[in-house]
Order: sequence, then structure tokens, then C-alpha cells
Amino acid sequence: MATLSELTSILRSKNAGALLCTLDLMFDDVVTYERVRDSGVINPELIASLYHVSQNEVSIIPYDVAMAIKVTVPRLVPSGSFGDTDVYGAQQHGPLLTVEIPD
Amino acid sequence: MNDSLSMMATTGLLGYGFGEEAFRHGLEMDLDFIAADAGSMDPGPHYLGAGVPFVSRKAIKRDIGLMLEGALDKDVPMLIGSAGGGGSAPQVALVREVIEEIAAERGYHFRMAVIHADQSKDYLHEKLRRGKIEPLGPIEDATPRTIDETHRVVAMMGVEPFQQALRNGAQVVLAGRATDASIYSAIPLMRGYDPGLVWHLSKIIECAGAVAVPKSGQDCMIGILKPDHFLVVPAHPDSRCTRMSVAAHTLYENPSPYHLEEPDGTVVTVDSTYEQADERTVKVAGSRFERSNRYTVKLEGVRRAGYRTVFIAGARDPGLIAIIDDYIDLCSERVRQQVAALDIGEDQYKLNVHVYGKSGTMASREPVQDATPHEIGILAEVLADDEETSKAVMAKARLALLHSDFPGRKCISGNLAIPFSPSDIPVGQTYEFNLWHIMEIDDPLEPFPIEMVDL
Repeated sequence: MATLSELTSILRSKNAGALLCTLDLMFDDVVTYERVRDSGVINPELIASLYHVSQNEVSIIPYDVAMAIKVTVPRLVPSGSFGDTDVYGAQQHGPLLTVEIPD
Repeated sequence: MNDSLSMMATTGLLGYGFGEEAFRHGLEMDLDFIAADAGSMDPGPHYLGAGVPFVSRKAIKRDIGLMLEGALDKDVPMLIGSAGGGGSAPQVALVREVIEEIAAERGYHFRMAVIHADQSKDYLHEKLRRGKIEPLGPIEDATPRTIDETHRVVAMMGVEPFQQALRNGAQVVLAGRATDASIYSAIPLMRGYDPGLVWHLSKIIECAGAVAVPKSGQDCMIGILKPDHFLVVPAHPDSRCTRMSVAAHTLYENPSPYHLEEPDGTVVTVDSTYEQADERTVKVAGSRFERSNRYTVKLEGVRRAGYRTVFIAGARDPGLIAIIDDYIDLCSERVRQQVAALDIGEDQYKLNVHVYGKSGTMASREPVQDATPHEIGILAEVLADDEETSKAVMAKARLALLHSDFPGRKCISGNLAIPFSPSDIPVGQTYEFNLWHIMEIDDPLEPFPIEMVDL
């Protein structure tokens, strides 16, 4: 087992517009990328539970050419609305860091 | 169509700066035009609401000054999109004033087009009545009330207003809110280049140095279009693009790297190929543009959300930290009672307390629930329709948080370490996005009036 913190070269979050938060998992080599992509761990059920959204709100797109997996979820509230904690959406990656991927 | 068309993106955001050395190298590359995006909604709704940029006027003047000098010297067009950050009337006016100031100071003469992107409520009501406005993502349908409540709204133009401005003889185009890629796609599409390649290149270079390695944040980016592929290369000879840095760029701030939406269609990168042409240059081919059967522009609108007052303090009493969530609930109830005595009803304000050290970054999405930090940061915020109410509620909230009792309290002189005097910080009128929709239009020029100015 290894965590996404250990396996990714970049694990970032950012707004995709004012309503969505997008998370990019990027890898340095194709073996690691394919290990994570094909593990089945990064699935709508996991993302929905980590980000407290419903599964049909989750988008997961593997992007082979850049060895990356893109995950997109709705923001908690629109950027800058009352109750927001992260206007740029730049620090929402934390829950993914400890996700474990089997060998 | 010529064999080749070259463009330079000076900076990913006008006012964030670019290296003069990179810029001067870029100018020597036989360019067809230079351009910069000036906009982003990333800093949130305030800047569109207040009509101000999120970079300084000085920084805008520095970047535009160099670009004007280069464009006039090489006699090529210069395009700016989303002027002033949000591309709204007061933001465009500020950048226009800077350009006119530079022209006057240096004796520059040129023809400029100023393209407006603000949308009137009457126009939006008419579009809504005809069913032409729909949500772009998870937001409620727009209603007549949504439009009535809007404080300021812009639409994002496509390439057509830029093209019309150039046909009108503009050398400098200063546009309000525009899609980032339209700024760079307007001229190549006029000259007949393949739309898939044009739009994909524009999407990559609109962030300028973001695809350069090493990332200095100061690099200018060169894009070279050919009939069947395009090249991307940094202007500075010491930096380079890698296959990976370019391929990865379509991930950034987009929900999908394969489908990128523009007003009249979608850039599809599913079959795009990325190849290292030389040490510094990446070659891309195979990108497609799928034309839509309708023309839609994105609307970005804000409404007034009220006057905010904030208050920051620290707490390091273990007894308080252990029960902080219950304590905040208790304090909120005290505030409700005490402001009622001031004739402030609970529907007249909103109070939120962020607890840094526990859930300040992710709020209810924070997965770590059992941490026991030795200290926490408290950030209280109040929103109310007027500043007096906002301050009055915060004064009561501060008092409640500072002096309410809790079981086992030993330090009865005050529960918080307050770093500043004054402690309560009014930050003025705030805004929130209420329009994040798309609007179908028949004529891509209709909502974007073009004003020609001879300087």
C-alpha cells in the first residue's frame, strides 16, 4: 500500500469557475500513473464521501497524455459567498493525500 | 492563409508582470500580434462588484507601457481582453485611462477600439423571457428577481467583436470581459487557420509562462500556427516547453482537459498529439473544433451581499478548545438575544465563526474531526445590509466570544487573545455571484458595443 501523497508528483486543487473545484492528481512515471488509474480506488463513491457530495456530482477523467487524473466536485458554496473558506479553491486537496492505493 | 502565423502572449494576467528580457527576445520573432489576458474571476466576486482591478494601477501601466512600445515599434496589433480583471465598465475605463495617459506622455498615436461587455437589466430580462438564459453548472435557474438583484453583470465575448474592431482599423483592442482564448484566436481565425488548432493553441498560451520550465512566472510565450500543427515555445532563450508541461496545461482550471467550451463550439483534444520538436519547443497536432448549433456567451453577475465586519483572535485554553464548537453555538445564541435588544432581528444579519486549527480551510468538508491543537485561531465574520448593523452585531459577538462562561473555565478575565486594537475590522460592501449562466444570442456582436478612439 502507498498513499496518494507518496505516489503523486503534484496533487492540487483549484476553482474551475466559481461553482466547481477541480483536483489534479499528476504522476512522474507511467507505471505509477497506471497503477493508480487502474486500481479503481479513485471512484465516484470515494470522492463523494470525501467531499460530502452525491456521486452523480462527481466527475473523474483519466488524462493519459499528461499522466494525470482529474477529479471535479461542486464547491461547498460559490466562490466568495458567505461561508466560503477558500476563494481560489487552492487548499481542498487534503482529503486525497491519505487515500491508500494497493500495490 | 500564409504558411505561418506567430503570436506572443506577454503574461498570463496583465499586471502580474513579465520579464523585459523575455519580451524583447519575443519581439524579434516576426510576430503577427501581441496580446494579454487581463482577467480572472479567481479572486472572487468583490472586484467585479466594486469595479476595481486586483492588481495595482502601477503594475498595469508598466505591463501595458512595454506592450504598447513593442506593438507600435513592430507595427503589429495589440489585444487586451477582460480589462481590469472583470472586464466591466469601470475596470475597462481604468485601463483605457492608463493607455491614454501613456500615449499622451510618450506622444504615441494609434487607433484603439474599446469593446464593452456590461449587460443591461432590460436586455437580460428580454433574453430570460425568451428562454435564452440557463445555468452553467450547479446554480439555480435565473429568474426576473435574479436579474433585478444584480449589481453588475458582464458577458464574455468571443472572437467576433475583436475581429470587427480590427476591421474597423484598430491597432490596439481593449476589450471588456472576453474568453481567454478569444483574445488569441481572433486574428488566426480571420486568416483562415484551422479552428481546432487555433483554439487549442490559444487555450495553452493564454496563461503565458505557465507552460514554461523552469516556472519563473515572468515568461512570455510564443505560439506559431502552421496549416496542420502548432508550436509553443517560451520567448526567453533560457526556458523551454516540455511535452508534458504543454499537455498538462489543459487540465488547469477546467473541469475536463478534453473538452473546452467556447461560444460557438467545443475544442476537442481527445486526438491531440504532443511532440518535443526541439529542446525548447513543443509541436501539437490533431486538435479539433466541434461547432455548436447555437452561439452562447457566459454571464458573470454579482449582487450585493451586505457589509462585512471581521474579527480575529487566538485561543489556547485546552478546556475551551475541547468544546469550541458547542461554545460557538452558545455564543451565537447569546448574540441573537443581545442584538434583539438593539432591534436587530436574526434575519437582518449572518454570523459565521471560522475555527483555524480545526476546520478553517475546509469547513464542513474537513475529514479530521479528532485533532486537539494546542491553540486555535478564531475568525468571526458578520454580514448585514448596512455597516452600522454589521458593526453592532460584531461588537456583541466579540463580547460573547471573549467573556462567555464554559465549564471548567479558569482564566476568567477573557477567553481570547485579541491581537489588534481596534479589534473589529469593517471591510465594507461585499458581493456574491448570482449569475453564472450562459446566454444564447443570435448576433455575436450584439451585446458588445465597440467604440473607436483615435489617439
